[in-house]
Amino acid sequence: MMQDLAKRSRSITSLRDFLELLGDAGQAITWSERVMPEPDVRNIAVAASRDANGAPAIVFDNIAGYPGKRTAVGVHGSWDNIALLLGRPKGTTIRELFFEIAGRWGDAAAQISIVPEGQAPVHECRIESGINLYDVLPVFRINEYDGGFYLGKASVASRDPEDPDNFGKQNVGIYRLQLQGPDSFTLMTIPSHDMGRQIMAAERTGLPLKIAVMLGNHPGLAVFAATPIGYEESEYSYASAMMGAPIRLTKSGNGIDILADSEIVIEAEMQLGERVLEGPFGEFPGSYSGVRKAPIFKVTAISHRKNPIFENIYIGRGWTEHDTLIGLHTSAPIYAQLRQNFPEVTAVNALYQHGLTGIISVKNRMAGFAKTVALRALSTPHGVMYLKNLIMVDADVDPFDLNQVMWALSTRTRADDIIVLLNMPAVPIDPSAVVPGKGHRLIIDATSYLPPDPVGEAHLVTPPTGPDIDELSKKIRAMQLGALQ
Amino acid sequence: MSKTVCPRCATGGALDDYQGKEGGKVVWTIHRCPTCCFSWRDSEPASAIGIGIRSADFAVDAANLDRYVKILQQ
Repeated sequence: MMQDLAKRSRSITSLRDFLELLGDAGQAITWSERVMPEPDVRNIAVAASRDANGAPAIVFDNIAGYPGKRTAVGVHGSWDNIALLLGRPKGTTIRELFFEIAGRWGDAAAQISIVPEGQAPVHECRIESGINLYDVLPVFRINEYDGGFYLGKASVASRDPEDPDNFGKQNVGIYRLQLQGPDSFTLMTIPSHDMGRQIMAAERTGLPLKIAVMLGNHPGLAVFAATPIGYEESEYSYASAMMGAPIRLTKSGNGIDILADSEIVIEAEMQLGERVLEGPFGEFPGSYSGVRKAPIFKVTAISHRKNPIFENIYIGRGWTEHDTLIGLHTSAPIYAQLRQNFPEVTAVNALYQHGLTGIISVKNRMAGFAKTVALRALSTPHGVMYLKNLIMVDADVDPFDLNQVMWALSTRTRADDIIVLLNMPAVPIDPSAVVPGKGHRLIIDATSYLPPDPVGEAHLVTPPTGPDIDELSKKIRAMQLGALQ
Repeated sequence: MSKTVCPRCATGGALDDYQGKEGGKVVWTIHRCPTCCFSWRDSEPASAIGIGIRSADFAVDAANLDRYVKILQQ
């Protein structure tokens, strides 16, 4: 059974494959009752995301005004869906999924296969004139006060304008795109992101910046391409290595490597030096970003599969698909990077709002040791901007079990066991920042008292733990579910 | 110039970008304001697009567009 799941996971090449797999496992549903684009699609997506463990993907095929078109949300919207993507059964714990991803980190090779353009499913249908994005994309307003219709789950591929033949410097990242009329959209990024660097390089040199926007993709790309890896590392290679399976690439009409099996690809070119109003957008902290002037791209062509599925995401005040999509893969790199210096680190839970709050378990060596590890976490690539609140717990506390974390806070924290670091870098869209981009950090040391601390550890009750107890928990749950059927 | 008024910046002249149709009948129209770049569908709830009903917190002052920051300036 486990081997079958793993094999099937590795055979996924497209969103369609994954939706079929999810459907077979009871993790995808088709919503055929007629809905309005607003507010119905948003309402249904929000209702689904209340069940972070078991929510299904939802494919809408009867949206008013969009006859014959399909929209999918929640494809990565639950831990069960993430488990199936990773070849693990439904009910796999978040902790197990974390170690599944952490175990793949740096331990696999990329497999890239090239599909001739004429044979690539993504090019089955081609639009090069009379372009109207609304003809192809059954969009909906994601949050009520968004400035327009957004593509919230688009993987954007681009070449370095100054080194266009370099495969590794090709960037693939998820950026929010706001439609700005039938054949234009804005892209939001910041200078430190790869796309921000490429936009600034193009405008500095006057070189063209062409991009390919992939929608409805191999589900591994969305999980793994969002990871901040080195600028010269290919996100495609990385995603393939992490999935342990080949990635099929082809060329877009404007010469960029794209996934051969995506549902829709939009080819576009940046309008050098131009900016138009973008936003607000309901972002992952659960608040709206402001209105700013962002670069605008003109669409030059659209390729899509026959009867394409437009994949989008509901993102806003958590819990949402965004949290399950990126949570584990926010946590795993911090874990790997910390363990290079501190093998005492046993797990990292940075699931909350892209790591604005993180919980790290560590084998405490001496009084205050966990605080030192926390400071190292703040200097990891993700920690620099995102790790705002850190809770340090002992290795006997599972950071993915919030009841255990609360026990540690209750019994192992003194009021002076905290560190507040003032005026540190902050994510610009963190609503608690002093000013956008600058804020305070909080470290709570909830580890036990060790020498030379004079108090010492209390005499603990030691309830049974370990794999046997984990299995018993699953058995109880299975018996309970069986009793209901 | 169209008479459609933008619910966000209260400026006229909104463009018609797309019409959703079923059986040849228009179900809704997507408008876009060339002044503040707001896009909306005329079938959305009044709380989002109703002039005077929509939250004033999200209004854009069409007379003061210079206040909005340009991102990625060199």
